Amino acid sequence: MSLLDRKLLRDLRALKSQALAVSLVMACGLTMMVMTRSLIVSLENARARYYEEYRFADVFARLKRAPDDVARRIAEIPGVAAVQPSVGRMVTIDLAGLPEPVMAWFGTVPERGEPLLNRLHLRRGRLLDPGIRGEILVSEAFADVHRLGPGDELAAILNGRKVPLRIAGIVLSPEFVFEAPPGAALPDNRTFAVVWMNYQELAEAFSMEGAFNQVSVALEPGASDRAVIAELDRLLMPYGGLRAYGRRHHASDVRVDDEIRVLLGLAVGFPIVFLAVGAFMTHAVMSRLITLQREQIAMLKACGFGRREIGLHYLKFALVIVTVGTVLGVIGGILLGHRLVDLYHLFFRFPDLHFELATGVLFAAAAASALAAVVGVWGAVRRAMRLPPAEAMRPEPPAEFKPSFVERLGLGRWVGVSLRMALRNLQRKPVQALLTGVALALATAILIIPNAFRDGVSYVLDFQWDIVQRQSVAVSLVEPGPVRALADFRTLPGVVSTEPFRATPVELVSGPVARRLNLIGLRAEGGLSRVLDAGLRQIVLPARGIVLSSKLGEVLGVRIGDEVLVRSLEGRRVERLVPVAAFAEDFAGVSAFMELAALNRLLLEGDQISGAYVAVDRGQWAEFLAAVKETPRATSVVVKEAMRDSFRKTTAESIGVLQMIYLLFATLVAFGIVYNSARISLSERARELATLRVLGFTRREVGAVLVGELTLVTVVAVPVGLWLGGWLARGLLTIVNTETVRLPLVLTSFNYSFAASVVTVATVVSLAVAARRIREIDLVSALKVRD
Amino acid sequence: MNAAAQPPAALSAVPPDPARGEVVFHVRGLSKTYGAGEAAVHALAGVDLDFRQGELVVLLGPSGSGKSTLLNLLGGLDTPTAGTLLYRGWDLGAADEEALTQYRRGEVGFVFQAYNLIPSLTARENVGLIGELASDPIPPEEALRLVGLGARLDHFPAQLSGGEQQRVAIARAIAKRPRVLLCDEPTGALDVRTGIVVLEAIERINRELGTLAAIITHNAVMAAMADRVFSLSDGRVVHVQANAQRASVSTLAW
Ligand SMILES: Nc1ncnc2c1ncn2[C@@H]1O[C@H](COP(=O)(O)OP(=O)(O)O)[C@@H](O)[C@H]1O
Ligand SMILES: [Mg+2]
Repeated sequence: MSLLDRKLLRDLRALKSQALAVSLVMACGLTMMVMTRSLIVSLENARARYYEEYRFADVFARLKRAPDDVARRIAEIPGVAAVQPSVGRMVTIDLAGLPEPVMAWFGTVPERGEPLLNRLHLRRGRLLDPGIRGEILVSEAFADVHRLGPGDELAAILNGRKVPLRIAGIVLSPEFVFEAPPGAALPDNRTFAVVWMNYQELAEAFSMEGAFNQVSVALEPGASDRAVIAELDRLLMPYGGLRAYGRRHHASDVRVDDEIRVLLGLAVGFPIVFLAVGAFMTHAVMSRLITLQREQIAMLKACGFGRREIGLHYLKFALVIVTVGTVLGVIGGILLGHRLVDLYHLFFRFPDLHFELATGVLFAAAAASALAAVVGVWGAVRRAMRLPPAEAMRPEPPAEFKPSFVERLGLGRWVGVSLRMALRNLQRKPVQALLTGVALALATAILIIPNAFRDGVSYVLDFQWDIVQRQSVAVSLVEPGPVRALADFRTLPGVVSTEPFRATPVELVSGPVARRLNLIGLRAEGGLSRVLDAGLRQIVLPARGIVLSSKLGEVLGVRIGDEVLVRSLEGRRVERLVPVAAFAEDFAGVSAFMELAALNRLLLEGDQISGAYVAVDRGQWAEFLAAVKETPRATSVVVKEAMRDSFRKTTAESIGVLQMIYLLFATLVAFGIVYNSARISLSERARELATLRVLGFTRREVGAVLVGELTLVTVVAVPVGLWLGGWLARGLLTIVNTETVRLPLVLTSFNYSFAASVVTVATVVSLAVAARRIREIDLVSALKVRD
Repeated sequence: MNAAAQPPAALSAVPPDPARGEVVFHVRGLSKTYGAGEAAVHALAGVDLDFRQGELVVLLGPSGSGKSTLLNLLGGLDTPTAGTLLYRGWDLGAADEEALTQYRRGEVGFVFQAYNLIPSLTARENVGLIGELASDPIPPEEALRLVGLGARLDHFPAQLSGGEQQRVAIARAIAKRPRVLLCDEPTGALDVRTGIVVLEAIERINRELGTLAAIITHNAVMAAMADRVFSLSDGRVVHVQANAQRASVSTLAW
């Protein structure tokens, strides 16, 4: 090892706590990067394997009813490799011990042999035997929540008849990687299930023998799904077909895509922030080091060391810091990644989802941190390289002290000697004070981000469940029916009020952009489910025009007064231009509303409703639920409280885990930054402080100078940091928000005070540590040599 | 001090320079101006001098007279504003950064008033560090023995007195066998007795290795130890004195 490298190691040892703080900050950023990148790879690979092995279809369509030979005609469409017709129905399940009814999507498997497409993965028990009646397969997420296993029993209302059923096996389906009711933004594994039955049995129950109402299609390699979808639509039109769609619009697949997009945002956003902070800290540490080693550098140059050797020597400092940070970051990313993959089982059910390290990211991580370090040290190292040796040999001019601003204001006698010195110091070295201030502001800002995420999530929950949906229950009808059906609901026990709604699948088109969704028809001024604007004021739905969620408006690129084409996908398939009347706040993403009567007019149908929102008297809750379970006309029932609870237990919990990790990192980083700043300002002052001690100042007085300086800087920096944090959080949310996941920027006073407190505590702790070092200042050597 | 009668083996390996008396630095009309316009400082204003091989030269003058500026130009730490500066016929004044680095690396040893040792390296390592730049360096132990510090090899600068630190700095300067040794107020921060020890070390190097040594001081007493004394004032050479006989350092009356 060269002696210059030995100097490097010894200098590093003296700097170890600061170097380690920088490494840790970088490691946090890299951990996030490695973890999220690997999660993306794990999800993508698990999905690709799953879809391939279990033959997930490429095109999907639902229809009213078509005879089996239509499926054979579909198979003849050019580009179609395989066709799997089946029957699917929304059914109410009565699970013993559960007060509320469960919504279940019932699908079918062929009587004999495996399905051609969308094959099931058996987790426990066995698949269905041909000929045995009353047996079902149940989705795993639902089974897990209720601890159901093979042999357990439940009852389902099949076409108005209550039928006892036995679970044969617990399964997964590529169609339900994200196991949520159609159209729902959140998983609800407590009151939503997916169930499979033998085709014969379900078809008989719904009088669908020899026919199907949903079909999946696999394409030949290289075939275009567009052409096949068009042909399929044409073919299914006479059979009441809803428009077919490709994987791009498949509800479950879209959710996986969205998750990957969120991860992509996190994989970029967080590391950028953390590495930028790391770069900044590297800069602070290195420029201080180079300032302190000014004479050494000059001597080395005078003795014949070249610019490049000097530059390389100081770059190596950064290199060591980066290497330690990268190694720690990669290890952290792998460890946390393993934990998070397990957490993903709550959202996404794959037969085999395991942690896969994104090897590419290792290079990216090394490159990113190296870049951050080089950016951080570049200025300082260049200064070292350019340092004119002759000049550096001249002793630094004595510090120019002036009465501080405060003193000139005549307030001098109100402040003590220590504070006066602190003020003078800050004024004398404004750049250093600024750097410390920036570091503290960054520390504060970083703390704002994770809590802003958490508050955003909880705001959405409250918004969705307390402000928008004030009903207790939403009850859907088997088929859209006349308004008369409302009367049935009114007679259920405990019902206080009801409001009808209509949900109909449409395609909204504006220019080249089109979106499919359920257009919701509501009363103009509903009390149970309300449409709100950005200011949380209720929007009265107009007799003419459509209300879009602001995200949908953005996606379609329309403004109020513009017209969108509403293309009905059901019934008479009308196409109409409708003016945009208002924009609504809806964090579930894209949604659209119309006044109920206006919607029915548009659809050219009479007064039809899809179901009703119902407010129920708390006292009669049990009776109400029991009665709903027995109501044949009701298919799906969404119980608000149940959904909220279940959400809290699953989604919110895992969001909580992520948030805790970020918060922990942010706190670590904040401490690192503050500690580093305190150390730097201590070592910059070492001589001065030692001089003061020699002159007879007590330790307490000397400490007060340092405390005073850092306190003054903190007082200014923290508010700036709070502001900066809000700004960073906004930036990150913009990266992360997708069409189905939208978080608003919510900045609470708790968030602010938490960030401010952490930085304050960090400052106090760092000062305490620094104060111990003041005690340890060896007066003689502090004055003799600089280190 | 370790007063060995015989030079150490490494030193005797250096052939005595047959061209003793040859001109090493040829300086004509040398000027250095810092700043411009009103604020311009003429640190050197036309200096004409020759430095010869094997000489021990003392530069005298009040503070601010331009001694350090001259030494820095000779050492390739800085470039002149005007005038001629040749090192063994090579145009040092016109050399670029890269060439100057090579020149300092190969030819020059520096001793500074502030010692400028690397605090994180021991005496041995401080010397060895510079030795790494040379193709045939004196082993650090020997260089340190030469300045009488053979017993303090593994001490860190903070564990050494000022005089000892300065002697380490001298050992460091000579370890790469420079042909020119430039010392800027090497005794400035030392007491008399320590100063003498340091000067003796320099004098000995000059004598035994035939190195051209230039020592800056503002202490006129030291003039007696030199072959020649150049006195500067306001950036000009005002007096040149040649001593027929060099006085031994220990006899200098402080
Ligand atoms: N880098 C510099 N910038 C401006 N003025 C300088 C610089 N270096 C030296 N000087 C000025 O040049 C003059 C000569 O300085 P110097 O050679 O250091 O004197 P000496 O070493 O004889 O005390 C002084 O007036 C000094 O202030
Ligand atoms: Mg000088």
